[in-house]
Amino acid sequence: MKVSLDWIRDFVDLPQDISPKDFSSKFTLATAEVEDVIVTGDFWNKVTVVEVLEKERHPEADKLNLVTFALGGGKTFKVVCGAGNVEVGMKTVYAPTGTLLPTGLLLEPKKIRGIMSEGMLCSEEELALAESSEGLIVLPTDAPVGESLKNYWKKSSDVVLDIDNKSLTHRPDLWGHLGMAREVAAIYRTEFKNKFTQKWIEDWRAKAGKATPPVTVQVEKDCAGLAYFGISIDSITVGKSPQWMKERLEAAGLRSINSIVDISNYVMLELGMPNHIFDRNQINGGKVLISQLKKEETFKTLDEIDRQLIPGDTVISDNEKTLVLAGIMGGLESGVTESTQNIFIEVANWKASPIRKTSVRLGLRSDSSQRYEKSLDSQLCERTLWRIVELVLELNSNAKINGQSVYDGADLSSIPAVNINLSLDKINKTLGTNLSQNEVSDILTRLDFGIQNKNDQFNIVVPSYRATKDIECDSDIIEEVGRIVGFDNITPHSPQVEVIPVRLSEKQKLYRKIRDFCVYEMGSFEIQTYPLVGEALNKKTFWNAKNSDLILKNPVSVDHDRMRDSLIPSLLESMITNSKHQESARIFELGRRYASDKKDFSKDLSQLIVAYFDKDKNPYLELLNDSERFFDAIQLPYDLLRPSQPNKFPHALYDENWIGVHPFERFDVRVMGKIHGSILSIHPMLLKKLKIKGHLSVMILDLWSFEEREMKDKTKYRPLAKYPGSDFDYTLEVGNEVQVGDILDSLRKCKLSELKKSGIVDIFNQNDKKYVTIRSHFADNEKTLSGDFLTQLQNSILDYLSRAGYPLKS
Amino acid sequence: MNMVSKLKEILSEYEGLVAKIDKEADLMNLKAQFLGKSGKVTEILKGLKDIGPDERREVGPLANEVKEKIAHLTDSRLAHLEKSAIDKQLSDERIDITLRDKTKYDQPRHGGYHPRTLIQQEIEDVFLSMGFEILDGPHIEDEFHNFEALNIPGDHPARDMQDTFWFHQEPNEHGKRHLLRTHTSTIQVRGMMAKKPPFRFIAPGIVFRCERTDASHEMVFTQLEGMMVGKDISVSNLIYFMKQLLTQIFKKEVEVRLRPGFFPFVEPGFELDIRCLICNGSGCSVCKQVGWVELLPCGMVHPNVLKSGGIDPNEWNGFAFGLGLDRLVMMKYGIDDIRHLQSGDLRFNSQFSTY
Repeated sequence: MKVSLDWIRDFVDLPQDISPKDFSSKFTLATAEVEDVIVTGDFWNKVTVVEVLEKERHPEADKLNLVTFALGGGKTFKVVCGAGNVEVGMKTVYAPTGTLLPTGLLLEPKKIRGIMSEGMLCSEEELALAESSEGLIVLPTDAPVGESLKNYWKKSSDVVLDIDNKSLTHRPDLWGHLGMAREVAAIYRTEFKNKFTQKWIEDWRAKAGKATPPVTVQVEKDCAGLAYFGISIDSITVGKSPQWMKERLEAAGLRSINSIVDISNYVMLELGMPNHIFDRNQINGGKVLISQLKKEETFKTLDEIDRQLIPGDTVISDNEKTLVLAGIMGGLESGVTESTQNIFIEVANWKASPIRKTSVRLGLRSDSSQRYEKSLDSQLCERTLWRIVELVLELNSNAKINGQSVYDGADLSSIPAVNINLSLDKINKTLGTNLSQNEVSDILTRLDFGIQNKNDQFNIVVPSYRATKDIECDSDIIEEVGRIVGFDNITPHSPQVEVIPVRLSEKQKLYRKIRDFCVYEMGSFEIQTYPLVGEALNKKTFWNAKNSDLILKNPVSVDHDRMRDSLIPSLLESMITNSKHQESARIFELGRRYASDKKDFSKDLSQLIVAYFDKDKNPYLELLNDSERFFDAIQLPYDLLRPSQPNKFPHALYDENWIGVHPFERFDVRVMGKIHGSILSIHPMLLKKLKIKGHLSVMILDLWSFEEREMKDKTKYRPLAKYPGSDFDYTLEVGNEVQVGDILDSLRKCKLSELKKSGIVDIFNQNDKKYVTIRSHFADNEKTLSGDFLTQLQNSILDYLSRAGYPLKS
Repeated sequence: MNMVSKLKEILSEYEGLVAKIDKEADLMNLKAQFLGKSGKVTEILKGLKDIGPDERREVGPLANEVKEKIAHLTDSRLAHLEKSAIDKQLSDERIDITLRDKTKYDQPRHGGYHPRTLIQQEIEDVFLSMGFEILDGPHIEDEFHNFEALNIPGDHPARDMQDTFWFHQEPNEHGKRHLLRTHTSTIQVRGMMAKKPPFRFIAPGIVFRCERTDASHEMVFTQLEGMMVGKDISVSNLIYFMKQLLTQIFKKEVEVRLRPGFFPFVEPGFELDIRCLICNGSGCSVCKQVGWVELLPCGMVHPNVLKSGGIDPNEWNGFAFGLGLDRLVMMKYGIDDIRHLQSGDLRFNSQFSTY
């Protein structure tokens, strides 16, 4: 929305020397952000009337002249000039150096064929008075030499503020200069001059008389129409608009079209209410009907584009055809042309929602629909109608109103006013201010609210044009007061509240612990990847996603059109990049996977993934050991399972037959009876397909299953042992294929209360045999173990192991 | 030769021998040869009984002196031998201590948090210290939590302002459609429903917008929501907390301004701008020449929102705010492209190494 300061001055007295910067800052702090300030027409102050005194040929160029002219005040000046129409005695326009011409040219001293020339004599084109022109401007002979064109032609310079439309979404009253002026008057606490009063409307009604109009109107009940005013005017002449109107339209960002269309636009920009002017000859049968379209239809709008209308769209039609697409755009056929003589003026109000729906469907957001979809006030229609009439009559001396205005729609006098009761105390408590009753009354009165006080209670009547959607309750009034006071002027204070201890939740503590461990103990970097993935990634990683209904209807790209159901594919994707640049890499991500859910549609499930990558060394054992330390650090009650039988323990981490699973390097993590994690190497076959050169091992853990659980410190102190224990080292001879974990598992089953601990001390391989040295520790809390008893214990475990297939080395 | 000169001779003999010894065992043997049961000194002293009392008075103290000197010479030689043995071992086992991990091309041990985590935890700690809890909620939400409960009904133009990702889904019997949350304000709704006033909490998390990505726009980015509900909470309180936060984050007083902003879920609603930290307000490309950077939308919670959360707006009120975390991350570290944040590329992430 572009706002002309010059236009605003029609309705409010602002100091002439107001600085655009100050203005835009005040407006930004009180109402809405001013995105840009454009100063236009400043050059009219600089260009002046001059009289040509002498003309001589440029010594170096045939087509150039050296022209001497009178500047006024007895001063003369000489410039180089290339215009063909220079004559001694003619009056024309001079622009000195430093002038910024509307073409964007900044005049600087310049040598033209060896002769220095400062400033220039101007053509119409150079002052943007014509799109192209020949020769200098020729002024009448009585033009006063030395006078600025601003004074001579009554040209104005202007300051245009560009305001973000989004920030005015809730303020339809600011989509016109009159509303803006009211706002500015309140901000500057100066008088607002609104001539469009009830009396002014009544005067116009009287002027129009009571004659029968040539066009009547009918609004059908079920359509989008709320209120529809119309009036007919005869004998107009369509031509060019006056300069002042063109300038204001251009300042507001609209092009001048012809004098009638320009009036329609001008009034919309002035009063904020869209309207439409018909060529009355195009209305058949003397009546316009506002109704929902009954059947599909192709309709050519003013912009010469065919629009596909559907039943339910509200249109304005005569007895033959559709004339206007209600609230959005007129039809090409019924619009005003150069030859139009008689017109019918429409000023209507429409329901916001259907207008918005139709305009969104057609992809046609016009100046008109943008305003209607914010909910406009039907009470503003009539003054808009008479303002159009006023301008049409002003610019067309022969024009005559034909008959009284017509109306159909809701009974406007029956729309109730919105009343809000609010105490001064509540305003001050909510803002944290100490305003007086008078201050609040003054602010609200300036914003056109009706006020009645009783003690510290205000009874506030909301102006109808702010009651359509904007102002509904206490808070809305408090905002009005606050923004005019200036939120910036409110002193910050701490609230007085009860002190309650606050801590991180168990989950947050866990997350922090996880991140700390991954960073400091595992030496890895945290990454974050997109929760949205694409089919291509799943395909590339041979991933069989189980959440196929979590697909977006309106994705931005096919690579991010669905929710991921594991962090694994995302991690592999990041490793494709990282393996190209790194010799080794350790990364982790604490993110979410998304599962389908019959009852709740979906479930966000938190997951942790840690990956160790190395070009040369297999990182599996390191990851495995680090992972176990990690589980201990987060106090996870877990055990490791080697998946011997497929699908014995079903889990949701990956498919058992996913090609990424390594045949040997894998442990599953069982937590509270279920598999919630896995530590595995990625199968070299998949790595090859992904062009990842090296070894990659991954720990994946579903955190959601236990993250809310309280972490209990289970450490228990035991008194130091009173009686010394005894270590026993022995070497077993087993086949090379035997894994030491199996031997220890078996030993764990040997239930001897004196056997406190066993562990691997050494392993060596020789001749297809594996020699495993184990140390076992025996102790009794109550007594020292005797030598005989120790021998007995040693023999019984050797016996036990031998029977389990792990004999003593011979 | 009398005993006195014999003892002196023995001492000088020992002095000569001990200096040549370079093994601990030899030293012990030598000592035994002089001071042992049949050692030279002992042997001489056996003759003590044969001499006269005058000479004995002279020999006695001298003998003790010689014994002490021999013991002392032995100890110092021993210390010398130990030291040279360790010195030798040290020089034999000398390592190149300049071959540090940091001098290696591939530095083996490193680790670091994602920059978003760094900023998020810092802000969490600031709010935690001021009595705010930290809440969380699902990324996949429904229309109620994302829009309706936040005073954004179906035909509200504000729905246009937030380009929403929708799921392929037939509306169910409640007409509730699912979507990816467009703001963390959904957690306001969940927080209000779960808690009894008074309360205050923040809610950091990722949000989604159906937007083309470029260097400064992402379809997935992080926000931090905050809410305080109590008795007579004011705009003045809101400004107080925002100023505290900014001072803590930027470690200095930051100039702020509040201007009206329109958000359906707050009334009054504001945009809080901070004086541009890059140009100090004189205008630069970061602040688009205006001297202010838009940082956080905030305001007093709309009564309709309180009602949706099951809170009586006549009894309670409060404020809420939303902070764009990614913008802070980018400002703090001077990151030129927002897409790096979710690239998973270690060339980016490893720059945030904590050690």
